[in-house]
Amino acid sequence: MTLRVGILGAGFAGAMHARSAHGLDGVAVTAVAAATPEEAAPVAEETGARIISDAAALCASTDVDLVVVATPTYLHAEHAIAAARAGKHVFCEKPLARTLADAERIVRACDEAGVALAVGHVVRYFPEYQAAKRMLDDGTLGRASIATLTRGNFPVGSARPWYLDPAKSGGVVLDLMLHDLDTVRWWFGEPRRIYARHMRAESGGLEYALATIRYDDRPIVHIESSWAEHAGFRTGFELRAKNGMLVHDSRAVSPFVVQAPGGAQPAMMASPTLGESPYRRQLRDVLARVQRGERPLVDGREGLRTLALGLAVIESAESGRVVEWSAPA
Amino acid sequence: MTLRVGLVSFAHVHASGVASALRGLEQVEFVGIYDDDAERGRAAAATHGVPLHKTLDSLLERCEAVILASTNADHRTYTEAAASRGVHVLSEKPLATTLADAHAMIDVCAAARVQLGVAFPVRSSPAVIALREAIAAGQLGPIRAVRATNPGQYPGRWFGDKKAAGGGAAMDHTVHAADAIRWLLGDEVARVHAELGSFTYGLDVEDTGILTLDLASGGFASIDCSWSRPTTFPTWGGVTFHVVGELATVDVDVFRQALMHYDDAAGKTRLVGWGDDLTSRMIGDFVDAILAGRPVPIDGTAGLRALEVALAAYRSAETKRPVDIAELRA
Repeated sequence: MTLRVGILGAGFAGAMHARSAHGLDGVAVTAVAAATPEEAAPVAEETGARIISDAAALCASTDVDLVVVATPTYLHAEHAIAAARAGKHVFCEKPLARTLADAERIVRACDEAGVALAVGHVVRYFPEYQAAKRMLDDGTLGRASIATLTRGNFPVGSARPWYLDPAKSGGVVLDLMLHDLDTVRWWFGEPRRIYARHMRAESGGLEYALATIRYDDRPIVHIESSWAEHAGFRTGFELRAKNGMLVHDSRAVSPFVVQAPGGAQPAMMASPTLGESPYRRQLRDVLARVQRGERPLVDGREGLRTLALGLAVIESAESGRVVEWSAPA
Repeated sequence: MTLRVGLVSFAHVHASGVASALRGLEQVEFVGIYDDDAERGRAAAATHGVPLHKTLDSLLERCEAVILASTNADHRTYTEAAASRGVHVLSEKPLATTLADAHAMIDVCAAARVQLGVAFPVRSSPAVIALREAIAAGQLGPIRAVRATNPGQYPGRWFGDKKAAGGGAAMDHTVHAADAIRWLLGDEVARVHAELGSFTYGLDVEDTGILTLDLASGGFASIDCSWSRPTTFPTWGGVTFHVVGELATVDVDVFRQALMHYDDAAGKTRLVGWGDDLTSRMIGDFVDAILAGRPVPIDGTAGLRALEVALAAYRSAETKRPVDIAELRA
């Protein structure tokens, strides 16, 4: 039976998820709603979905089984809860919500409605991070002693102003660092304590944060998150363990590099780095589990715990103190 | 004009590089070596083709300056001996293992009117100098944050001996990055947080550490000081700076200039650096300053400030809270 997907939000994430869902076997993208119909139009055209005027109407649609919530972070609670109450499964982009209270409300609403809730911590579907996880789990690496992770992007607030308001987005910590915080929980489990520093420039959308996360005994983790990478998106990690070290640098692994006069890249040459993008791998897995009635890999509680860790980083950066960590149940 | 320079002790892993630099500098007359380990001294003197002095006095009598490559804990004793004979001192880093020793070294040299320098070769990197000039010229705008790394392989020898070295990786590597951050930004470290651990080599001292620094200007920085490079790593380690300014972000990788050597004969892969010899440039600058009667470029106070950061890191790791540098001085 076909799973019918409605897309809420048509920014970077919404468009990516629509494109990823479109073309999956047994999946149809049937509806898309964004802040304006114009914003929703490219997604509608690419997927054949119809444009719906607002979120409430999309949630009420009878031809939608699962809603992808890809609206700005501060709206996740409103939209995810509306979807759940309409009996739709929910796939929510990360962070699950802007506040822990909102995250709790989303989880409760989905539980009460008996619908699935998955959170888009897509790094768990990136093969380079999965390879490290596998080598940690199968003993190849031995016990980890130190992991340093980095993630950067250009100041995204210059393109999407809601990112500039920490009350709406949670800034670089909830947007970028949350990926690495989730990765660290996935790789190593729950940490012990956190110390962090953060800066936000007065203008231009520049933000930068460093966090040190200590586990019981080991490892020590250091995470760098930057909205000051003017050359664009990059990720990296170094993972030192008993039997050696893994190093990843996204700038060094592109198998396909194009040069053209004037610096412009021909549009048709989108970089084909993987047969299936991690975003599509994620949706394929989430939708398959939902159809089988299984729990998603990153469910509501898991998304909530990672959000709580992000909020603890912010708490340390703002207070200047070490924050002891205990994961929410 | 040349300066007569001696080398005290081959205990430090940098000693051989120092000796090679001394042989190559035309403004230096390399007058010989003293080592309290006579066998080690004989081997080093033979390797570098310079006289071995049986006593420290014998070396100091012939020197205008000495370079100390002893264990960290011995820097003070050798500095006091040199100062008492009017001999200038360039000490390996860290300057000392305690604040009391560092202050004593600064004071004894001042009283004897000899200069005290500290070996921070990172300041001699052309890339680091270019970064400092760009910052000073305002090209990066106000500097908001720095992420520095100085990870390396475990050096062995006495570097894991708390008494001789004053600590482990945090004592060994923090001082390079802390000094460079002060110098690059013209700033001071106000507060230090550290997580340290002894995970890999079964040592009583830490082999792994991340420090976070609050700077007096309001910026912040972190330092990875870990002995985290595996034995199969293609080089000893490295030094990097990621600097976030309001106008530009800069990455400096001090030892990036290297060939990758896939060496079948040795059965390993290694980096063959071809960048400038930082030790030679650093010693040359020290010698030039002495010859010209100018203050040496990196003085005892710089060594003291960097040591304070390392010592604050130990207190932070012990108390599990950030530590103000002012607490150490109280």
